[in-house]
Amino acid sequence: MSGRVGVIGVGHGRFGRRSDATVQELAFEAFRAALQDAGIDRKELDASVIAAVPEYHKQRSVAGAVQEYLNLNPLPTWLTEVACASGSAAMRTGWMAIQSGLHKVVAVIGCQKMTELATADILALMGRVGEVQWESVFGTTFPGYYALFATRHMHDFGTTRDNLLQVAVKNHHYGAKNPNALFQKEITIEKARDSEPVATPFCVYDCCANADGAACVILASEDRAKALSKKTVWLDGVGCATASMSVLKRPNLTGLQSATDAAQQAYRMAEVTAKDVKVAEVHDCFTIAEIMAYEDLGFCEKGKGGRYIEEKKPYIGGGGVAVNVDGGLKSKGHPIGATGVSMAVEVVKQLRGECGPRQVPNADVGLTHNVGGIGQYCFVHVFKKN
Amino acid sequence: MFSWFGRVSFVPYSKVQDFAVHLKDGRLMGSRCKQCGYKIFPPRADCPQCMSGEFEFVEYSGKGTVWTYTRIDAAPTGFDRDVPYTCVVVELDDGGRLLAWSGETLPQADVKIGMKVQVVPRIFDDTPDIRVFYTVERPGTTWGKAPAPHLG
Amino acid sequence: MDLGLKGKSAIVTGGSLGIGAAIAVELAKEGCSVAVNYRKHDDEAKQVVAEVEKHGGKGLAIKADVSSFADAQKMVDEVVKKFGRLDIMVSNAGITWDGPVWKMTEQQFDQVLNVNLKGCFNYNKAAALVFKQQRSGKIVNISSINGMRGKFAQCNYAASKGGEIALSKSLAKELGRFNVNVNVVAPGLVMTEMMKSVPPEFQAVALAETVLGRFATAEDCAHLVAFLCSDLARHITGEIIKIDGGQYI
Repeated sequence: MSGRVGVIGVGHGRFGRRSDATVQELAFEAFRAALQDAGIDRKELDASVIAAVPEYHKQRSVAGAVQEYLNLNPLPTWLTEVACASGSAAMRTGWMAIQSGLHKVVAVIGCQKMTELATADILALMGRVGEVQWESVFGTTFPGYYALFATRHMHDFGTTRDNLLQVAVKNHHYGAKNPNALFQKEITIEKARDSEPVATPFCVYDCCANADGAACVILASEDRAKALSKKTVWLDGVGCATASMSVLKRPNLTGLQSATDAAQQAYRMAEVTAKDVKVAEVHDCFTIAEIMAYEDLGFCEKGKGGRYIEEKKPYIGGGGVAVNVDGGLKSKGHPIGATGVSMAVEVVKQLRGECGPRQVPNADVGLTHNVGGIGQYCFVHVFKKN
Repeated sequence: MFSWFGRVSFVPYSKVQDFAVHLKDGRLMGSRCKQCGYKIFPPRADCPQCMSGEFEFVEYSGKGTVWTYTRIDAAPTGFDRDVPYTCVVVELDDGGRLLAWSGETLPQADVKIGMKVQVVPRIFDDTPDIRVFYTVERPGTTWGKAPAPHLG
Repeated sequence: MDLGLKGKSAIVTGGSLGIGAAIAVELAKEGCSVAVNYRKHDDEAKQVVAEVEKHGGKGLAIKADVSSFADAQKMVDEVVKKFGRLDIMVSNAGITWDGPVWKMTEQQFDQVLNVNLKGCFNYNKAAALVFKQQRSGKIVNISSINGMRGKFAQCNYAASKGGEIALSKSLAKELGRFNVNVNVVAPGLVMTEMMKSVPPEFQAVALAETVLGRFATAEDCAHLVAFLCSDLARHITGEIIKIDGGQYI
C-alpha cells in the first residue's frame, strides 16, 4: 500500500421523516457541511463514491442524479450497494481508489430516502434481503430474521429480553443528545417492555426505524491530507467479508461470521486489537445485533454480550468500549445507504474530541462495524487519531 | 410453476421448478448431482461440489429438529391474512435446513429449540389458483401423496 | 384396455336399480369393491351386492335418503372403514316428479331438487373431504340431456340436472389441485326397467329425436362411467359427456 488514507472533512444531515427534501437535497446538506468542515473548495475533489439502496427511489440510477445536484459533473462517480452496508462499501471503495493512486481526494456520500414507500411495502422490500426463493415466500421480515438469531442466542447463552431492551435504553440515552437523530428522547425499560410485538422476542423498541437522511466524508491521500487539513483522522484498517445470503446456510445463528472475519482483517491491518478500541459505532439494526457485535468484535467473550450491556460496560465511562454514543441506528434511524457513512462521521468527530456531552475521553482508536442485510456483508473500519 | 410455491411468489422460473409439482403431489424433494452424487436441500441445478448442471430430484423424509423460530406479528405486504405466523427453521435429518410456518398440530407456544418435528407438504385451499407450501408439524403427522397413475 | 381399477373402492348412489346398478356391477367387473346407497328396494340392493361380490370385490348396501349430509358422511366413513379406502364417488340417485309449472307444487319442486341436486352435493362433499386428504379421487355425477335443454313438464328435474352440471364444474376447479377429476355423464333416454313402463307414444317421440335410432342401455352408461373413473381419463375434468345416441345435438 502506498501510504495512509485520511479523513479531512465530515458532514451529517438530520435523519428522520424528511418529507421536506429529495434524496439529492439531503445529500447536498451533508456534502456542504463536509466541505465546510474540511475547509476546502469543491474543486479539490477528483471523484465521488455514492452509497444508496436504489429500490426505494423512483429516480433510476440515483448516483448520477446526486452527482449532478452536487455540481460534481464531470467527475467520476458510481454507486455502491450492499444493502445496509452500502455506506461502508463506499468508504472502502474511496479508500481503494486513493490507495491505487488513481485519485487523491474523494467525497464519499451516503444518502437515502425510504419513507416515500408505505410501511408494509418497506417491510416486504427489506424482508427480501434474505433469500427470496425459499424464505420470503413465507413472509419473512428483516426483524423476523434477526429474531431467529435472538431466539437462539437467548436459548444458548441465557441472554434475556431485558438485555435486549437495555441496548435500546442506552442508545436512546445518547440519541437524546444528538440533534441529528430521528428520536431525541430517552426511554425507560418499562415502556419498552410494553411496546407492540413485532417478531418474538422483539417488540417495537428492539427495532431501528426506517428514516431518510445523508452523511458525507471527504477522504484524502496522505500527502493531500497533510497539505489540506490540521485535524486528519486516519482510516488505517479496512476489513470486509461476506456470508451466505440464506441464514439457513450459516454455521450458527448466534453471531455473524462476516463481522468476526472483517474485524480480524481490520485489526491486523491497523495493527491494533479489540482492547485498543475506545469508541465504536456498531450496526444495531435490532438490539440483538449490538449484543452479537460486542462478541463478534472481541469486546467481550462469545455468549457474554448480554452481561456486557447489563453491566453497562458500553456506556461512556462504563469500563468497556463506548458503543453507539451517537444513538446508534436505534435512535438515529437507519437510512440504509447513509448509515455506514454516519458511523464514520461519529468516530472521526470522537477522535478529534469534538463531541461535547457525548465525548468519549482519550478516544484515540475508533471502529465502525457496518452490516449489510442479515450479515451477508460486513465492513469493519479502524480509525486512528495519530 | 415455481410461482406456485409460497403464499406470495417472487421467483416465477427456476431450473428446479418441478420442486413445486412434486410438493403438490405430497413429496418434499432435494436434489442429487448426477455426476458426483452430492445431495443438497433446497434442491439446486448446479452442483456446489463438481459444478455439473445435471441433477435429479430425490425425496426427503421431512423429519427434522427445530433450530430456531420466531412468531411474526408485523407482516409484509401480501401476508395480511396469515399473520401472526410462526416461522420455524428446521434442521432436516436428511441434511440441509428449511424455513416454514408451524402448522395446526404445533401451536407457537409449543415450539421449542431442539424438538423433533415433521415437515409436511401442503396445498393452499383458500386461493382460486394452485399454490403449494409446507408446514412444520409434530412427528408422526401423516399426509396424502398422489399415487402414480394406473395406465393399464 | 386395462382400466387399472383393480383394488379400488367405489360408492354409487341410487345403486339398487337401473343405471346405478349397472355402474356398480361394471366397476366390480373391473376389480373394484363397491358400496351402493339405496332408498327403497332392499331385495334389488342385495342382488347388486351379490353380483359385485361374484367378481371378487367387497360389496355393501346402505339404505339412506341422499338428501341428508349426515347420512352421506356416515356412509363414506363406513366404506372407508370396511373397504380401507375410497377412490370413486358416482352420484347417480335421482327422481322425477313431472308437471307443468302451473300444476307443480312446492313439494314437487323441493323434493326433486333435494334428492337430485342436494343429494349430489352431499355425496360429492363427503367424498371430497377424503379425496383432498389423499390427493387422489374420481367423481362422476350422472346428469341428463334434460339438464342441458328445456323440457316440458320437467322444470324441477331440468333445474336439478342443470344445477348438477354447474356444481360439478365448480368442484372440478376446486379439487383439481388435489389430483381429483370431477365429470358429468348426461344420458338421454335409457332403457331400464323404470323406462319400460313409460307410455309407448313418449318412447316414440324420444326415439324419433335419436339419430342412432336406439336407446341407451344401462350398460352403455356404465362403460362410460368406468372409463371416466380410470387414470386413462386422468386429463379429463370439468367435462360433460352426453351419452344420448344423438338425441340432443
